[in-house]
Amino acid sequence: MSEPTAGGDVLVSIQDVYKHFPIKQGIIFQKEIARVHAVDGVSLDVTRGETLGIVGETGCGKSTLARCVTGLHPVTGGRIFFDGTDITGLRGSRMKAFRRDVQMIFQDPYGSLNPRRRVGSIIADPFVIHKIADGAERKRRVQELMELVGLNPEHYNRFPAEFSGGQRQRIGVARALALRPKLIVCDEPVSALDVSIQAQVINLLKDLQKELGLTYIFIAHDLSVVRHVSDRVAVMYLGKVAELSESETLYERPRHPYTNALLSAASIADPDRSEKRQRIVLSGDVPSPVNPPSGCRFHPRCPKAQERCVTEEPALVARHGDPDDHVAACHFPVEAGEQLTHERSTIEQQSTEPTLPSA
Amino acid sequence: MSLTELETEVAPADAEPTRTIQGRTPWQLAWARLRQDKVAIISSIIIIVILLMAIFAPVLTHWFGTDPTKTNTNTGLDADGLPIGPSADHLFGTDHLGRDIFSRAVYGARVSLEVGLLSTFFATIVGVTIGLLAGYFSGWADAVISRLLEIVLSFPYLIVALVAAATIGPSKTMVIVVIASFSFAAMARIVRGQVIAIKAREFVEAARSLGASRLRILVIDILPNLLAPVIVLVTLLIPQAIVTESTLTFLGAGVDIRIPSWGGMLSESTQYYRVAWWYLFVPSGMLLLTTLVFNLLGDGVRDALDPRSERIMARAGKSGKTSRRWRTPSEPGSAGAVSGR
Repeated sequence: MSEPTAGGDVLVSIQDVYKHFPIKQGIIFQKEIARVHAVDGVSLDVTRGETLGIVGETGCGKSTLARCVTGLHPVTGGRIFFDGTDITGLRGSRMKAFRRDVQMIFQDPYGSLNPRRRVGSIIADPFVIHKIADGAERKRRVQELMELVGLNPEHYNRFPAEFSGGQRQRIGVARALALRPKLIVCDEPVSALDVSIQAQVINLLKDLQKELGLTYIFIAHDLSVVRHVSDRVAVMYLGKVAELSESETLYERPRHPYTNALLSAASIADPDRSEKRQRIVLSGDVPSPVNPPSGCRFHPRCPKAQERCVTEEPALVARHGDPDDHVAACHFPVEAGEQLTHERSTIEQQSTEPTLPSA
Repeated sequence: MSLTELETEVAPADAEPTRTIQGRTPWQLAWARLRQDKVAIISSIIIIVILLMAIFAPVLTHWFGTDPTKTNTNTGLDADGLPIGPSADHLFGTDHLGRDIFSRAVYGARVSLEVGLLSTFFATIVGVTIGLLAGYFSGWADAVISRLLEIVLSFPYLIVALVAAATIGPSKTMVIVVIASFSFAAMARIVRGQVIAIKAREFVEAARSLGASRLRILVIDILPNLLAPVIVLVTLLIPQAIVTESTLTFLGAGVDIRIPSWGGMLSESTQYYRVAWWYLFVPSGMLLLTTLVFNLLGDGVRDALDPRSERIMARAGKSGKTSRRWRTPSEPGSAGAVSGR
């Protein structure tokens, strides 16, 4: 188990966390026939005041990990320490106290606000639930929050349907800020928004971080967004961390072949650079997390895969010539100037079709 | 669509640039759509008339008829001892005992509406509660409740009602209890499905991450979103309950035969309709009208609350004119659909 630290004190320490979802069958007496390995042994530290970006394809477990950190999903194994306390087994009033410190911003601004309730009462929810402010005081604080996130406080009595997507996401941000949390987990906060609105919301989040000293876990599949906001970035693949590094190093010198492929697929605004760039097209689909591949999980799709990758799981460690905080889980990390596009894997490719055991 | 048509559509926007866009709540949108629905409006007017008729039954019968329970063999029957047809004295004629059918039909509305509304009320309370619990607490509780609901739904209610009437005797309370204890299952099933759908929405997760209690999530976050499908189902359950009540009374297992009710009148008229068509016609007509308008209103309400329902789509597809009518912006998932999802 490796525990990378980036200096400063650690706010969240995720230690070897597993989250499996059982697949059940049966009408009354259900038996587990398989499990989805959504998060499979992830260790990450989040330093106070930093933004940790988590990127990966759909279904790689990044949202599940986020929900484990916020306590929405109980973990299957491992521990999560928040500010020194283990939060994996919290219940009742202690869980409620923890919820004050950790808030979440959701992906879908249309789904995360109750369409039948007025915005004022949605933002006031945290105050009501934690019995903090009452009556006029509550209203004043809600309007303060609305102003803080750039909404017109006069719109207190409106319904979510009367706002645009970007404004709704601001409502979500205001709700998350209400209790002055220490950590905000942003689960793809901008992927449902127009590009022009994305920038506004991201800048709002950055400004708020500066102003209120927030710590973010920022989940996205858009690499350029993550690069813009994150101090450090973790790349996830099939429930595991493939690479973790300070964000500039990761983008300049990715070591894991998967990170290389991801970066090569991201769009570049400069057409000259874009033309020169070689795209690495991965073969096959993401294997099913029900039955993940042996050894290195990326081996069925990896252009550099060899026999060793099938049998031996690579450790997440710093490679030769990398800074200490740049770790990658790969037996054969990509060297500078290496061309991955022309390489073909030397091992027999395993089928990547998702298979469900038939019961 | 031709170019000229396109232009006419654009023009009004330039004509009134000062018009402020005002956001409307999902309920306002639904109400705007319902108001456009002539059938639904006419149906609700008729429902109000029937309701008023039931409430003011004593006044109405005082003015236009006679006491519904008073047998009148002197003036209520003709020389051969047969019922009298509709006339100035008896608007809808008389029955085999010379009783005024208009008065009996008016009083019959009381029984039908009382049973229909009360049994639906109880069915809704019980059904929504059970549906909420089953949908929210998935797992074995849900499995057990769902199986029980299926058993209730597959039970032949008529036989149960007949047995109940035979053992505890026919009464209005018995009818209400029997109807409510069968129709709650339909309500519970639909609510359960809706709760499962709503539970997966992010705003419920948001409430959980804020530390909201289960009760708060159920009452504040989920319940308001159930209102639309529940209202629709209520408007459909009421006529069903009215028909069931009449059926039971017709079979002698429902309301006391001495109380004027549509089912009871139908039951008696079967022996006399050859000589007195109005005897059969009035109660069956009232029954038909009442159930029809409730059902039509239910359809209208469903369309208004769920703009994506198939009926509207079909109507909008037929003619361009109507399609514009329905082009009100709607919030995704604002109205729950009873069918479909």
